[in-house]
Amino acid sequence: MKTTVPVIIAFLSGLVMIISFFFSSDTGFIGRLEPEILSWVTIVGGFTLLLGVVSIVRVNYSTVKRRKEGWGYKLATLISVFVIAIPAIIPPSWSSIFGVRPGSIYDWLFNYLDAPMMSTMFAMLAFYIASAAFRAFRARTTEATLLLATAVLVMLWRVPIGELALKNIHPGIPELINTYVMNGANMAVQRGIIIGAALGAAAMSLRIMLGIERTYMGK
Amino acid sequence: MSLVDFLQIWIIAFFTLALFSFLYKDNPFYKFAEHIFAGLSAGYYVGLVWNSVIIQQMIDPMFDNGKWWLVFPGLLGVLMFSRFTKNYHWISRISLAFVMGNTAGIFLLSELHGKVLPQIQSTMLSLNMNQSPGALILSLIVIIGVISTLIFFYFSKEHKGALGGAARVGIWFIMISFGAHFGYTVMARISLLIGQVQFLIEDWLGSIIQFFV
Amino acid sequence: MIWLILAYVLLALAGIFLLYLTFRTGDRRFIYLAVAFYVIFPVLLTLNLPTEISPEVRQLYEAVEALPDSAVVMLTFDYYASTLAETEPMSRAALHHLFRKHCKIVTMTTIPLGGPSISERVTRDLAEEYGKTYGIDYVNLGYKANYVAVLKGMGSSIEAIYPTDNSGTPLAEIPMMSHIKNYQDVDFIYVVADNGIVDYWMSIVNAQYQIGVGSGVTAVMAPKFYAYLSSGQMTGMLGGMKGAADYEQLVHHHGTATKGMAAQSLVHLFIILSVVAGNIIFFMERKKRGGGLQR
Repeated sequence: MKTTVPVIIAFLSGLVMIISFFFSSDTGFIGRLEPEILSWVTIVGGFTLLLGVVSIVRVNYSTVKRRKEGWGYKLATLISVFVIAIPAIIPPSWSSIFGVRPGSIYDWLFNYLDAPMMSTMFAMLAFYIASAAFRAFRARTTEATLLLATAVLVMLWRVPIGELALKNIHPGIPELINTYVMNGANMAVQRGIIIGAALGAAAMSLRIMLGIERTYMGK
Repeated sequence: MSLVDFLQIWIIAFFTLALFSFLYKDNPFYKFAEHIFAGLSAGYYVGLVWNSVIIQQMIDPMFDNGKWWLVFPGLLGVLMFSRFTKNYHWISRISLAFVMGNTAGIFLLSELHGKVLPQIQSTMLSLNMNQSPGALILSLIVIIGVISTLIFFYFSKEHKGALGGAARVGIWFIMISFGAHFGYTVMARISLLIGQVQFLIEDWLGSIIQFFV
Repeated sequence: MIWLILAYVLLALAGIFLLYLTFRTGDRRFIYLAVAFYVIFPVLLTLNLPTEISPEVRQLYEAVEALPDSAVVMLTFDYYASTLAETEPMSRAALHHLFRKHCKIVTMTTIPLGGPSISERVTRDLAEEYGKTYGIDYVNLGYKANYVAVLKGMGSSIEAIYPTDNSGTPLAEIPMMSHIKNYQDVDFIYVVADNGIVDYWMSIVNAQYQIGVGSGVTAVMAPKFYAYLSSGQMTGMLGGMKGAADYEQLVHHHGTATKGMAAQSLVHLFIILSVVAGNIIFFMERKKRGGGLQR
């Protein structure tokens, strides 16, 4: 029962989506059912986002309570969660600093703290890729040499100075790279990967609907 | 420039430089900024779900438009939290099955209809000898590239003989594609750094000049 | 000009010296310093280098240009704050183009972390510049969870998925949305994304509803989507900061992407130098130990 009912629900939900694919939105009952079911899916999906928040609060609270190593930082995390969350759920009719609209505490904290920090975290990758380029990227094999040669060519082609340098060797080189490398070899490989991955996704979807694949249910 | 704008820029700059300080060495400023970032990111979801889902998709339609049946997806959403209990975690499977079933139904057709068929159709290129040599070469590259890539990723049979040879060709094509990917990835990472440096130099250092001069 | 050339030569020598220090000491922080130099120097000198417009960028520009004025365009903000440096210039250039053509813009996002805030901020900034009115010229639908359901659901009814806009106003009360019920009422979809959501705009939306979809994607994603460009499923693409810079040139609005190309050039050259230098050292050391190229 604990597994059978979910499998039946998965099958029926998927079946509705498959049948509705062949009908337009103004076709009677099925045309009205599809957007309604999909709106239900978006609602349930919204609650799923909160699972991570609950998890973070539980883990960090446990560390702070037991005064484990680094508990001060975990306390900062917990405080940050509540500092941004609580003003967001207070009705904006009380004050414009509440709610989620522009000018609210929530909006300010995201735009002036969270977003810049997110950008900086990823900006640091530039340094690591430069370090890896010198220390790790080795043309040990013929295939690796082919990879690095293509990478160098593409890196030159994508910047104004490099494009100018390539044009000085021969004016047609940038177009050759675009046509035969990007729209040729690269496109062919990506197409092969897309076809393979799509076939795999379709097969997995069928397995989920038929109840063969149940790993999403957990233990 | 107002004092508020000036302070806002300096707050952003403080946290930006605190994170960048990790490049020299791990330190308390970096750890502090990292943990604040984690907390704010998690807390953001609370405001988002409360506003976008609970208020806009449930409470307002239920009370303003009489759509009382929306309590059912709300219930399904709440059932998700049973995952945190020891004895009743299996209840969350109902909500998961509902979402996964819908997604699977959409994917089953969209992946085939929207990816497999158009991509295969576009691979059926003309090898007519009357076309220009450049176009013919490009068509050959695409056809051979697609087929050899698919063969390379076919692991149900050992790569020997003709299959092995085709897989070998596939590897060469894949190396060219991954090389292009690497080149573009370098560009992507550098771009993100440029964005932050532009802020530090134009906005942060510029704010000193604007505020005091 | 002569001072600029001299400065570049000195920078190149500094880069080689820092690579040498890294090799001798094993401390990668010297490479970090070099990268910092090569980014800070062009930003300080605000060098703007003209770029050759890529064909796929021109294709997207011409597709938007061919739209009738007052066409309805769905502009998506499907990117996280982590990639703002690449994607925000694309969104801004797209808004410049669309607002200039007096298109009706419906913005939305499938990104939960920051998507609604970013789309609100960027759109309002540009709308103010062009004197556009919310609800008549543009609407921000915001975010709803489960992007597969969102993309599929909007094909039947936008209102079923988004009963209100981002600020809670029912769609029925927004003048612009009175005649925009689903994809059939949208003339073009302009996706700006930093993740694989573009795949689903192709497979779910473009394939079933036959609506033109153009995209701006980060450089990490760009090589993949040449397959959709080639099959005609995607109408043009902006790839990374270069693509954004090209589009800024076409819409005659030089923003941060155009400014960033000089720094991009220098760092690329430094990384190529690093790869070459690293491999020269590798082969010299291997020759000392004895050995050839592996098969």
